[in-house]
Amino acid sequence: MFGYTFQWNQALARLPKILDGAAVTMEVAVLSMLIGIALAIFLTLLRLSGSRPLGAIATTWVEVARNTPALFQIYMAHFGVASFGIHFSPFVSLLIGITFNNAGYLAENFRGALKAIPETQTRAGRSLGMSQGQAFRYIILPQMLRISFLPMTNQMVWAVLMTSLGVTVGMNTDLYGVTQDLNALTFRTFELFAIAAVIFYLITKIITLGARAIAWRLFRY
Amino acid sequence: MKTLTMAAALIATTALAGTAQADKLDDIIASGTLRCAVVLDFPPMGMRDENNNPIGFDVDYCNDLAAALGVKSEIVETPFPERIPALMSGRVDVGVASTSDTLERAKTVGFSIPYFAFEMAVTSNDASGIKSFDDMKGHTVGATAGTFEAIALEKQINEWGDGTFRPYQTQADVFLALSQGQIDATVSTSTVAQANVKTGNFPGISVVGKAPFDTDYVALFTNRDEYGLINYLNLFVNQQIRTGRYAELYEKWVGGELPALTVPNAYR
Repeated sequence: MFGYTFQWNQALARLPKILDGAAVTMEVAVLSMLIGIALAIFLTLLRLSGSRPLGAIATTWVEVARNTPALFQIYMAHFGVASFGIHFSPFVSLLIGITFNNAGYLAENFRGALKAIPETQTRAGRSLGMSQGQAFRYIILPQMLRISFLPMTNQMVWAVLMTSLGVTVGMNTDLYGVTQDLNALTFRTFELFAIAAVIFYLITKIITLGARAIAWRLFRY
Repeated sequence: MKTLTMAAALIATTALAGTAQADKLDDIIASGTLRCAVVLDFPPMGMRDENNNPIGFDVDYCNDLAAALGVKSEIVETPFPERIPALMSGRVDVGVASTSDTLERAKTVGFSIPYFAFEMAVTSNDASGIKSFDDMKGHTVGATAGTFEAIALEKQINEWGDGTFRPYQTQADVFLALSQGQIDATVSTSTVAQANVKTGNFPGISVVGKAPFDTDYVALFTNRDEYGLINYLNLFVNQQIRTGRYAELYEKWVGGELPALTVPNAYR
């Protein structure tokens, strides 16, 4: 096959390092999702607040996050902010970039989910003596999170895959970064990236299957 | 008559077997085009002029090689990490990509004798107070991912056990990060260091000294089992030096003292 002999033992010997990278990738993805969900709820509240400037801030965030490449967002979180003298490590830059992206997409998901919840429910809650905030917290928010649960899973998968963009800001501890480092060292390109691809696939598969299992347990009527 | 048929069949078989065994050198000559992998964000070895045409030492070197073979040259832009996929997938015939000839890599590809040698220099951000190689201990430093100096610097940081190493994807990103103070110092080839400081695009940085790494010999590379082509490449590199073309190209793109490509007290 195309003048290249696969030497799997050369690549597999580096598997522990690659798996360490996978752990960092998971760490970034999970953190970016947790913070991203919190921010997305916050953005949704800003949009619901009825205040025009606050709504505009949220809309701008969502527009930029959804309509520019994630690569640009991550690059800006590193080199862009540095022109103002703010320095983030590659890890933090990557985390900020992905979180920003997550929050934008999730806010839009939440908006769609809110549309599916009849407004009469808020009024029903109000008529039972709940405040506006209580009605949102106890009636709307749980339903919103349930409706957007599967889109959130999608975003989690995206977050995992987006970590591979960290190499553009000097990240070399995540799955893709470690693989690229090892590639430079050994030139065992095909074996190493094949291993990385399988690990990426396994991670995302576990996430989607896991999410389905959670949804099945949590959302039974 | 029977003998004649047998002889004809034998000749035909040999001829067919002959073409089937044509090696890469034959393929290049037959196709009329030599495709070289060249890294084009690595001035002065490979870059683009204002009309976006590829220029640089490696580009000229590829053109010379094509001329020697009597074929046209085609420059295939190849970032550092994609050199091997480009070769293995048959997109390029030869790498003229400032590739360090490490033993680890030679397990995968076939290298010619060295055609260029780099000396390594330390460039630091003026605010960092780094004045020499050893001053880098404990600092955040960076280099271009996939290069000889990146591998060596990361190893050194691990040996010191103090400080952080960051690989950036391009030479330009390294110097941008250095200029912004995201990293305190970098090790790069002295040619690149001088060139970048001189542009004035990256204020607040200066070349502060040499890095005590081994001389970085870089070689042409192709598939490991293409002995015919590797043999040709070796002779070509030798001829470039013999005819003074190496010195000429060095003067044109780099300037200064010509680095020796031989290792003292060694056979090859």
